[in-house]
Amino acid sequence: MQIIGPDSLVFGVDDVPACHEFLTAYGLDAHDYTPEKGGHFLSLDGTGLEIRRRDDPSLPPALKTGNMLRMQVLGVVDEAALEAVAAELGKDRQVLRLADGSLRTQDDQGFELSFRVTTRRQLDLPAEKVNAPGDFGRKPNQIGVWQEMPTKPRTLSHVVLFVPDIEPALAFYRDRLGFRVTDTFIGTGPFLRPQANPDHHTHFFIRTPPYMQGCEHLAFHMGGPTELMLAGGKMIKAGFESFWGPGRHKFGSNWFWYFKSPLGCNVEFDADMDTHDDDWVPRETPMGAEAAQAFLFQHRDKWAPSGGPKPGH
Amino acid sequence: MTRLCHLDDLPEGGARGFEVPGLACKVIVVRRGGRVHGWRDFCPHYRGGTPMAWKRDAYLNGAGDHIACHAHGAWFDIETGACVQGPCLGKRLIRVPLIVDEAGAVRLRPGEERR
Repeated sequence: MQIIGPDSLVFGVDDVPACHEFLTAYGLDAHDYTPEKGGHFLSLDGTGLEIRRRDDPSLPPALKTGNMLRMQVLGVVDEAALEAVAAELGKDRQVLRLADGSLRTQDDQGFELSFRVTTRRQLDLPAEKVNAPGDFGRKPNQIGVWQEMPTKPRTLSHVVLFVPDIEPALAFYRDRLGFRVTDTFIGTGPFLRPQANPDHHTHFFIRTPPYMQGCEHLAFHMGGPTELMLAGGKMIKAGFESFWGPGRHKFGSNWFWYFKSPLGCNVEFDADMDTHDDDWVPRETPMGAEAAQAFLFQHRDKWAPSGGPKPGH
Repeated sequence: MTRLCHLDDLPEGGARGFEVPGLACKVIVVRRGGRVHGWRDFCPHYRGGTPMAWKRDAYLNGAGDHIACHAHGAWFDIETGACVQGPCLGKRLIRVPLIVDEAGAVRLRPGEERR
């Protein structure tokens, strides 16, 4: 199955203007947006979020839990890949073919799914480059950081779901849609990578009770750790609230910084995620603070050492 | 008695968070139906609690009728603190008793600073 990953995540929210404020500050560009109807919030390659009012009749049904995620739109490489998805899922469930060519169905947990030939653009942008003795990533005179450097999210990276029944969920994505398990937090759940995407994960499942089913967080890829730090710092300065980070995960190696949001889930910046192919041997470890991150920091206001102690101290 | 704010600084239906020396988390003050309610900014989803706003003072859901944790979408009753939806069903917020004096100052009940 030549699935690339989420092109779009659709939310039905109870405060559309708050989501606009948050997502534009996060660095996404609003398209076709009105405060009454919502709109699209896109990253540099055209992947992103669709934000609508909770009671918008065009949305698929809401989850019973109150979670605001309404649908995942998964991009595939071409029409043949779309046909393969339709043929496979059509074996045991209704798969609708909509006028725009996309497929519409549900997974085994009742999460709404759409599949379409991806609309993402190929990015031609350099990654953050690092200089080190023995390997200089930047040319002479090329500087590594400046305060106003662009910090735009590049692409929708992954979605993490609270899932009541992990085993059937894993079976659906692995056995029916061909996702690879890259790593597993024992007792929590698997990290999954679709076949047409080398990223360590586009999906991660967290085992929860049924009343929690929904989106735990979503993330966009940044151009590197420096962009992530600057973007998160701007959010803090503007009054937005950090949930976790900045830090660096162990599984996936991605830098992370999570912010609480009016989407009812965390929204993460990530950067420098590992990529894999089918030679990779998945790892397993119990979930815990040690396993979840290599290091973790907390933001503080800028400060600089200067001068000596004040007279009298 | 620690003074948090004046009623005039707290519109009907509004919420604000206040740092209190000696308390590990902020105190959320919500004014609703002519009363003020104090709660610790401490979502019971995870052991150790997490603060709940998505930006400064943004503690309520879109309709303004529940306190919401914007990490994972839990909703809490403003008057009882009970979780009515989301990850903390069956749990509740920790109340912070408040006093509003004749001049309209909102204060912590004596002794709350040390809890």
